[in-house]
Amino acid sequence: MSLPALAQKAAAPPIKFGTVTKADFEALPVATDSTAAPAEYLCDYGTSKIVGGNGDFKVVFERTARLRIHQKAGYEYATVRVPLYVRDGKQERVSSLKGLTYNLTDGRVTQTKLVADPQVAKEKLDKNHVQFSFTMPDVREGSIIEFTYSVTSDFIFNLQDWQFEHEIPVRWSEYRANIPQFYSYKTITRGYLPFAVQESLTVPYSTSFTSAGEGLAPGVNSQIAGLALQLRWVLKDVPAFREEPFMTTERDYLRSVHFELAGTNFSGNDYHDVTGKWDALWKLLQQDEEFGNAISATAPLAAEAQALKARYPDPKVRAAAVLALVQRSIKYNDQPAVFVSQPLRRSVERHSGNAADVNLLLVQTLRAAGLEATPLLISTRSHGMVQTDLPVITQFNYVAAHVALPNNTEVLLDATEPSLPFGVLPERCLNEQGCLANAAGRWVPLKSSTAYTELWTTHLRLTPEGDLQGNTKLEYAGYAGLQARRQIRHSSSAEYLASLGHRWSEWQPSKLQLLNPDSVHKPLGVAMDLTFAGPEGKAELLYLPLLKSLGAVTNPFTSEDRRYPVNFGMPHEYTSLVTLTLPAGYSVQEMPSSVALSLPNNGGRFLYQVSQTTPETVQLVARLQLLKVEYSPSEYTALRALHQQATAKCAEMLVVRRK
Amino acid sequence: MASELRENAHAVIREVDETFLVKSVGRTVQTVRRAVTILDEAGSHYGRELVVYDQLNSVNYFRGSVYDAEGRLLRSLRAADIKDIALSDGFSLANDGRGRTADLRQPVYPYTVEFEYEVASTNTLFYPTWRPQYDEEVAVEHASFRVLAPINLPLRYQEHDLPSGVALRKSTQPGGLEAYEWQLSNLPATEEEADGPPIGEITPRVYTAPSSFEVQGHTGMLTSWQTLGQWNYELNQGRDELPEAVRTKIAALVQQEPDERARIRKVYEWLQANTRYVSVQLGIGGWQTFPASSVASNGYGDCKALTNYCQALLKAASLPSYCALVRADAPDIRTDFPSQQFNHVVLCVPLQKAAKPDTVWLECTSQTNPFGYMSSFTGNRHALLITPQGGKLVRTPQYGAPDNRRERRTDVYVDATGNATASIFTRRTGLEQDMYAQLTHALNPADQKKYIAEHLPFSNFSISKLAYTADQRATVPALTETLGLTLPGWASVSGKRAFLTPNLLSRWSALPATVGERRTPIWLDNAFTYTDTVRIHVPAGFRPESLPTPVQLTTAFGTYSSQLQPLPDGTLLYVRRLLMPRTRFAPSDYPAYREFRRKISAADKAQVVLVKTDA
Repeated sequence: MSLPALAQKAAAPPIKFGTVTKADFEALPVATDSTAAPAEYLCDYGTSKIVGGNGDFKVVFERTARLRIHQKAGYEYATVRVPLYVRDGKQERVSSLKGLTYNLTDGRVTQTKLVADPQVAKEKLDKNHVQFSFTMPDVREGSIIEFTYSVTSDFIFNLQDWQFEHEIPVRWSEYRANIPQFYSYKTITRGYLPFAVQESLTVPYSTSFTSAGEGLAPGVNSQIAGLALQLRWVLKDVPAFREEPFMTTERDYLRSVHFELAGTNFSGNDYHDVTGKWDALWKLLQQDEEFGNAISATAPLAAEAQALKARYPDPKVRAAAVLALVQRSIKYNDQPAVFVSQPLRRSVERHSGNAADVNLLLVQTLRAAGLEATPLLISTRSHGMVQTDLPVITQFNYVAAHVALPNNTEVLLDATEPSLPFGVLPERCLNEQGCLANAAGRWVPLKSSTAYTELWTTHLRLTPEGDLQGNTKLEYAGYAGLQARRQIRHSSSAEYLASLGHRWSEWQPSKLQLLNPDSVHKPLGVAMDLTFAGPEGKAELLYLPLLKSLGAVTNPFTSEDRRYPVNFGMPHEYTSLVTLTLPAGYSVQEMPSSVALSLPNNGGRFLYQVSQTTPETVQLVARLQLLKVEYSPSEYTALRALHQQATAKCAEMLVVRRK
Repeated sequence: MASELRENAHAVIREVDETFLVKSVGRTVQTVRRAVTILDEAGSHYGRELVVYDQLNSVNYFRGSVYDAEGRLLRSLRAADIKDIALSDGFSLANDGRGRTADLRQPVYPYTVEFEYEVASTNTLFYPTWRPQYDEEVAVEHASFRVLAPINLPLRYQEHDLPSGVALRKSTQPGGLEAYEWQLSNLPATEEEADGPPIGEITPRVYTAPSSFEVQGHTGMLTSWQTLGQWNYELNQGRDELPEAVRTKIAALVQQEPDERARIRKVYEWLQANTRYVSVQLGIGGWQTFPASSVASNGYGDCKALTNYCQALLKAASLPSYCALVRADAPDIRTDFPSQQFNHVVLCVPLQKAAKPDTVWLECTSQTNPFGYMSSFTGNRHALLITPQGGKLVRTPQYGAPDNRRERRTDVYVDATGNATASIFTRRTGLEQDMYAQLTHALNPADQKKYIAEHLPFSNFSISKLAYTADQRATVPALTETLGLTLPGWASVSGKRAFLTPNLLSRWSALPATVGERRTPIWLDNAFTYTDTVRIHVPAGFRPESLPTPVQLTTAFGTYSSQLQPLPDGTLLYVRRLLMPRTRFAPSDYPAYREFRRKISAADKAQVVLVKTDA
């Protein structure tokens, strides 16, 4: 029996720069929708390896890519942007940039070399980011472009990410990370498409290293040899990515791989945990000036908190009062953040701050009022899903507050919006689970405590002349109320009512009025009077569009198929109740039939009921309920069909006869 | 603050003082101080400020403070509060535009922010426009504008819509300076009105321009369009040298082609196939082109470089042409006020041998633009021809209602359960096809289908076919769309009746009711002709029970007709026509215009009722 060799042999690189031949221009096999695409990646190959430097280690990232430009619309892919990180006077550096554009002219392959001026095309984006751009020469329809470059980085904590999936098709995308045994990284992969290759090999490793000099003594040169982990991922024949409605963020759907430095072990038996364990992260957070220490500093709202404590003995009522206090003391500047931008005292003075400024102030003030409050680390929907087995700080981009109440109950609070009711998180936070920032680091489900609910109650009477007259009340509860109030806040009550009036202009709305605009715990209501002009002349039959033009249900799913899940964030419910009274001399000629439809596994239902309670009264109920937060692609067809059937049913008319 | 100013206002500009100091022909300093009381969240963008600068403009200072409702100072900006950002436009290869930005927004309304900044410029081609009220629903309490210029550099200016009593005050200041000053107060907030002019065309404003200027050592006179053109001509002169290989190629390309227009077309198509547009926005590069040789070797360039290159290529084919500056994708320039109002350049090729004067216009930055077509981007406006004799103002091609057509032919087959299939042929020409031509060039078929699906007015449908065919032979391009639709439940069947709306795709909405009297004129700037013919194939066993009455509207705003007639073969034929010329009307015509739109909207929604014949 022989033991497997410790070091394994790595696969050959999938591409070599400068080797495009005439054969590459010949019709390629159609494995994807590539021919219709403006451009495609023929091969995109990246490697990251860690090498010794002067007193420290560096990450060297190399990328070689080959693209075919099919159409003029694909010319933008001939311009390449390379983001570079800058911090503490250190900057990632681009080197070894080479590029070639290949064209097939009169049956011959011609090459044009890229001449790039890194000085001109470098743009400082912000304090920590510089962007280097270059564009390929002599690009035409049918050109193959090829480029290669390296990025050398001192930021060992952050191995370069790799994105396999793009808005154009990719025939082959491969990434390799070569990690010597003295470093270990956590790996996070995102997306849905299956990898063609996903392997981990042990390979020999060697690098030269110059130790940092001490005093006047120069550093010592040495050669380090050992083993390294070679991680390799390949995705092939990837179709172009398309955005669909009800997605959280592209990042959750596009195949990609990310890294986080977890630990170091230089002598073989001194493993040093950098982060990756909750304890380690918690220790860092607890003492961070911009997190733990910010909360434990003197509370700027302490006096008010004390007063609330004295005034409200009930912890729940008190927590609500503290939330209201913080909501009116500070305005959210739309910057999600885990760390405060300034001491909380200054945020209060300035009445403005990022999510951490606002919600860590909330935690601090809740504590000052004698409540058990804990920061809750969140990744917002636009930031992407979290991996609960990987408590690394870059997974999070937002913080809210958790309060433990008596009888083992708990409530999640957020003070970033004035119209958020007690216990409701904004939609951006409804993203699976959040992590409590305390010693235990428990994960808490971020399930919405409330749904998105629209309820319409309409009373109509038919006049002897054949017109419909009456009134309607729209009630927006839960997230529907939050969204309506947000819309009002961003415009004005008058503009909001005017927009609703315009939406139902066919019904000539009048006396529009807002109900409960300021009491955030009640549904936001809109009341209006309606008139629907009947046909000119004395028609014998009247066709009454009761739900049709009120538009109780809409179908947002125009696409026939779906590759990725539909994520609504919260359950939805739409209900419309219509009561119609007929005058003397009219009778119901025909009523639509009642139906009840449902999705498999209690995923949702649609109910439509018409009844004639008295000879002159007709009642109509339509209700669409979507009970799940997320529907998988396999559930899509049924979900779309339910919406189609519901909209078709609501379009049916009631026929009334004039005697 | 007067209560009238709060009416309909999200913010009130309490005081805005702008000073523009001309230090010399090549240096100016602009100082702005603006205090704004913000009344609610919709006005809160006034709580932020962005001061832009680049290689030729630098920020001398930028300060800000915020006050509560009682006027108490809440805080003042410190250096660390001001962020320096790149104004990356997302598509330029290089862009030197940057900005300093600060945020003083507060959670409690009202509050007052005050920003002050000063920008020194060494690019004196641009003088500011004074327009204190540039947003709807914002009132202005007091505004002033002051220009100080040496007597030998007199200010050129043009006033528009100034309230009565507001007039220029001119005075002589120490140091040989002339002061020009305007002040106004108490402008109430305005609201946007449907089909009205943009706010920038109706509120008080003063345009200014230099009489002479200098940009990076290049001096020029701005006393007429001729002199502005002269400066441009000289700045770009001698940059049209082509490599020998390219000259030979072009000569060979047109050698066999005697017809002048066909020669131009060959050169243009060669340009489109061999170059691409890459934006570069740096310093004097905004006005001076890269040499033609640079485009020849790289195969790309910005709008000046590609236009200059095309001009050089045409010259190699013995075809003279002129660069023409335009303001693309924005309202036309003010022709009676010569100044730098342009943002783009196209090429104008006068035909030498044509029987009557004729011109070919070329858009050199697009690789897909039809030959000689200016589109809504650069058509219907003025351009400044850059000739060796200086600038000359001319018109770009005009596209009116007869050019911009949408002709649609639809067949709908309905079955007894209300399900339908439709095949729709839509031929669009001129400006009507611009957006769809973009769609076919920029998106792949899957995304085209997605876009069309998102914009169809149905809740329940699927697209069985979508294809586009372009026809660029005529002077205005045409694009034909073939669309196949499956429409489950298109007709609503209840018992023995079926209801359907014959106007599937061309419904026009009514206008919202106006509150109070119409203030602004009506601008109907989009001229077009629409024709719809819909043939409805009624299911067997149904007959029409009620049909809409024909409608014919002939007004100064436009002409509309729709009618539906049963044909002998049992099908129904719906024909709709709408013609809108390019017109403008006084505010007092608004009720009549609204009635016109209401009638169209009502007619477009008219229903057909079918009933089962066996019932």
